[in-house]
Amino acid sequence: MILKPLYAVMERELLRTLRQRSRLLAALVRPLIWLFIIGAGFGAAFDSDELHYQSYLVPGVVGMTLLFGAMLAALSLVHDKESGVMRMLVIAPFAHHWIVLAKMLSAALAALLQALLLLVLLALLGLLDARTDWALLALALVVCALTCSGIGVLTAAFSKTLENFASVMNFIIFPVFFLSGALYAVGHLPLALRIAARINPFTHGVDLLKHAMLVPLGAPAAAEFSVATDLLYTLGFTLFALAAASWRFSQESRYEPLIYALAGRR
Amino acid sequence: MNDSASTHAPAISARALSKHYGRVLAVDGLDLEIPSGQFFGLLGPNGSGKTTTIHMLSTLLRPTAGEATVAGHDTRRMPVAVRGVIGVVFQDSALDRTLSVAENLRFCGLLYGLERRTIEERSGELLDLFGLAEMRKRPVGSLSGGQRRALDIVRGVMHRPRILFLDEPTTGLDLPNRRRIWRFIERLRAQTGMTVLLTTHYLEEADGCDQVAFIHAGRIVERGAPGELVARLGRHVIEIEGARLDDVIALLEPRLGPALREGDVAMFRYPDEDVSALARLQADARGAISALRWRRPNLNDVFLWVNAAQPAQGAADAREPPRPTSLAS
Repeated sequence: MILKPLYAVMERELLRTLRQRSRLLAALVRPLIWLFIIGAGFGAAFDSDELHYQSYLVPGVVGMTLLFGAMLAALSLVHDKESGVMRMLVIAPFAHHWIVLAKMLSAALAALLQALLLLVLLALLGLLDARTDWALLALALVVCALTCSGIGVLTAAFSKTLENFASVMNFIIFPVFFLSGALYAVGHLPLALRIAARINPFTHGVDLLKHAMLVPLGAPAAAEFSVATDLLYTLGFTLFALAAASWRFSQESRYEPLIYALAGRR
Repeated sequence: MNDSASTHAPAISARALSKHYGRVLAVDGLDLEIPSGQFFGLLGPNGSGKTTTIHMLSTLLRPTAGEATVAGHDTRRMPVAVRGVIGVVFQDSALDRTLSVAENLRFCGLLYGLERRTIEERSGELLDLFGLAEMRKRPVGSLSGGQRRALDIVRGVMHRPRILFLDEPTTGLDLPNRRRIWRFIERLRAQTGMTVLLTTHYLEEADGCDQVAFIHAGRIVERGAPGELVARLGRHVIEIEGARLDDVIALLEPRLGPALREGDVAMFRYPDEDVSALARLQADARGAISALRWRRPNLNDVFLWVNAAQPAQGAADAREPPRPTSLAS
């Protein structure tokens, strides 16, 4: 019974992702800018015979696409309230906590779609190595996408200033990205930042991507944790995020402001 | 979902239903009993608690006190069962403007667990009924206000609800569009026999209701069939204009009963069919009356008189729940 509504929400998210061409284009161009500009800049300083910095960056920018894609889709929960779509969801005959799961799955799906398009682009540019562990990559993509949308729905459920997208960008997306090992190994960071990076679930998502894409290349200092640790951490966080956001969303205090909006007093 | 327990129950029943926002009373001990198949109008000024009542009955708001059942299901204990048998057309559109008409209906149909083919069939029928068949592929953002409202109603009845809540369905529409919406709703009621709970402040739209209730500051202050309520007011309403209206009112109130002032017009209720006695009034007022008319009362008059009998409008406004600032834009 709940499968059709879940499917409906995911189908809508995919339609929207494919229709918002400029957002989709940005999702593909942003990682390439990092790869070619940051990659070239730092590469000049750090390149060694074993590994080019640009190659090191590939799993990081794939993770970045997942992070931005999932966060933007999850935060559209707020947009849904304003556009009226939330009215269709809250009046439908299923418990409201399903809305959070639906949003989480659809955000992960939208992020996956963008990451897959990026992978095709990277392959065309010759930046994907044939030695990649494809099965592990598939798993890593799904798990990392779920982790990212978990961060997204948690932010959407607990933040009161969601309209202020800039602050979400500055205080959530950027710290999560910079403290993740996407750009550099977190093992060399000062202790406080190293702890923050270890707690950051996205670190473990990126680490999984490194396991799939860098470890088969024999890259030194590529992945920093074991696959089992990464999986435990990311999946554990995803379940926690789902539970916490669902609880928060079905709470009256969180929910009533929505009703004011529904009452149409603008 | 149509269990036998609910066949004999009234479609909607509420006892002492109340909603407080902090110390503010939005709905205050509301009692309602709406039989199955009835067309019921909940009427009142803005901020009187109509929308809060609809949101409590449709399980979107938890009552502070009291209880309500919809199709026999308790709104608090069985919200999902309630949502399965009702349709709600909100004051504001509940459509995705970026999706097409057909995509919106498909999305909505899937939320109700309908089969793909059922969604196709029903949206075809309903779009035909509402004159929107040509619009299937159009993005909702490109529809006119009237078309969007019609589509909102199609969305609200796609799953064949037994009870339909219409919260100010025609607000903001021009007259032709309002009439068109009402023709659709008439046809829907005739075809399906669904119970309809309407809120509106266009009172002429409530003339067709089987029963209406006037709500003021969260309490029901008058109820009955529209015809009876109008008849109770009197045979005529007399409207008087004059330069010194206060003097005219002071002069006539002892003879005609309490007046109701609406701008530059004073209104009196008149119980008799025979209005020949009115000619003498004008003579007695010695030119202070510049115009005197009489007409049949209507539901608008009931509304005005009911509200005049209540505490000042300011008190009712104060009861409107405060809007959180984060949603103000």
